[in-house]
Amino acid sequence: MKPRPLSSIRQRLTRALLGWSVLWSVSVSVAVWLAVQHEVDELLDDTLRAAAEILSSSLPTMDDPPPATTGRDAATQAARRPSSRFTWQVVAYGPGAGAQVVLGSSRSPTRPLHLTPSAGFANAPGWRVFGVPLAGGGRLLYVAQSQLERREAQREVAFSAALATLAIALLAHLWLGARVRYELLPLDRLAQRLSAHDPMPGATLGVAERQELQPVHQAIDALTERLARRLAHERAFTAHAAHSLRTPLAGIDAQLAVALRECPPALQPRLQRARAAAGRLQRVVGALLVLFRSAVDVQRQPLDLAALVARLPIDGLSIDVQAAHRLAADADLLEAALLNLLDNALRYGARHVTVSTPVDDTLRLHDDGPGVSPEHRDELQAAITAQAYEGHTGLGLMLVDLIARAHGGAFVLPEVEHGFAAELRLAGSGRAPTPRG
Amino acid sequence: MRLLLIEDDDILGDGLRDYLSEEGHRVDWCRSLYEAAACHGEPYDALLVDWRLPDGSGLAWLRGRRAARDNTPALMLTARDQLADRIAGLDGGADDYLVKPFPPEELVARLRAVCRRSAGAAAGRLSFGSVEVDLTGRSAWLANQRIELTAREWSVLEALVLRDGRIVSKSDLERLVLGFDGEFASNAIEVHVSALRRKLGFDLIDTVRGLGYRIARR
Repeated sequence: MKPRPLSSIRQRLTRALLGWSVLWSVSVSVAVWLAVQHEVDELLDDTLRAAAEILSSSLPTMDDPPPATTGRDAATQAARRPSSRFTWQVVAYGPGAGAQVVLGSSRSPTRPLHLTPSAGFANAPGWRVFGVPLAGGGRLLYVAQSQLERREAQREVAFSAALATLAIALLAHLWLGARVRYELLPLDRLAQRLSAHDPMPGATLGVAERQELQPVHQAIDALTERLARRLAHERAFTAHAAHSLRTPLAGIDAQLAVALRECPPALQPRLQRARAAAGRLQRVVGALLVLFRSAVDVQRQPLDLAALVARLPIDGLSIDVQAAHRLAADADLLEAALLNLLDNALRYGARHVTVSTPVDDTLRLHDDGPGVSPEHRDELQAAITAQAYEGHTGLGLMLVDLIARAHGGAFVLPEVEHGFAAELRLAGSGRAPTPRG
Repeated sequence: MRLLLIEDDDILGDGLRDYLSEEGHRVDWCRSLYEAAACHGEPYDALLVDWRLPDGSGLAWLRGRRAARDNTPALMLTARDQLADRIAGLDGGADDYLVKPFPPEELVARLRAVCRRSAGAAAGRLSFGSVEVDLTGRSAWLANQRIELTAREWSVLEALVLRDGRIVSKSDLERLVLGFDGEFASNAIEVHVSALRRKLGFDLIDTVRGLGYRIARR
């Protein structure tokens, strides 16, 4: 099953910020839109009223003598004074004649804006109208503004306000995004410090960069302390186990060596077999100790493969070393792996083994023994890959696999035409200065 | 060679003592540092020291010997197989480091190698004029003719050769050849030295009056 990709705090915060920025922008824009519409409406109404009042005071009454110019011309001149955006008309209402436009501006409609007298603000189709009764009665001055023009003015103001709001929102989003990234930098630095942090007794991460990271530091320091204690305990246990197991084994071997010298010839084959068994027991115990240690710590270093192979106590096997590439590994662990693989080769009838490094940090053994069938090889490989050793592999192959894994690598049984091959593919490492055999 | 073995495990100590004795060495076996203290001042050709002992650290004991300018070749025998331990052992004064379990044959070979190097003879064969001494094969040759030596004569010759021209007192020579357990006639060393001179030439061993004997310069 593929692991679910982890969500990113930065992306989540950025997404949240973006969402809130959009929501905020839209809300503010709507609020601004409504407020501006209302205020602009009021402002335009005030202007309309003021224009009507100015115009009404400058228009001639019915009792006045006729002006030298036409009434329309005079009114047009008067209307131009407050604003050219408005239009106006004087409507006379007679008892039988109905409503009749007696005067009007050039942009004024020919039909009366209101068929019945209407003082104050009122809407006519397509117009916002303010009516002022003129002196003398029966006539009303209507000053009107096109609804289209009013909406355009409202739209312009609202659009400008919304645009400014969106621009601020965008800037705020960018700034907050950058701020979030900046505030998350201590997490990156904490990760770097952790990668160089060893679980040694008394080792601490130091002072946290942010108050929120202090509990994380405290938890990691506590974990480090527990790990350090555990490692120290395991190291001590390994040392004790090594001493308790290795010393009696050495004693058994020494006693058998003396007994072999002192015994009558008839007993010698039996003692030799006992000594061989003791030798095998030594290798098994050594492997178990290495296996335990491989879980604790690995000390990688460049190795001289030929020197390493030369010091292995393997008799009855000719070994050809072809170290064409570099090999960096824990000397003790790799020695144990080699010893087990060579011991396996010997026990399964091989007489010659080629030990090589086909690429950097890969060790390959290929023997001339009878090998295994492809089905058995596949079964072994599957058991090794799944770490299901029980009932499939012996201690030797299990140990080799664990050693490869301890190096961050894998143990592979490649297909070969003849014999049996095994590869320890160790994860690459930095080049260290001096080779050691 | 006279060897001091400090090993607390009975089975291993007993086995090594017997094996090394059969190889022709005199072995003083101590089970603790307390017992080893009783051997203070005794001359030895090599020290075989276990690291972990019931009353302390064999490595610390060895460091003390080195601080007291005792250059006797020493092998560390231990179950501690870590790289850091091996480095600490060798830096602490051990000339070689053997991880348990080990076959006694390897111990003997390493012992010979360490003593050869200490005597300045990496190859194992030392020449003193027409006399050649093979420390590995435990044999002596005069003008390319192998000379048969008794065990005691070889022990005297080996003790002098391993000290490479340094003067060895008669009492030290007695203790190196016999160890604690043997019984010696008072003039036994003179007898063996005379026999060696007769067999290998009178110039091979110098007598330093009042001080002891030394092998002739190579």
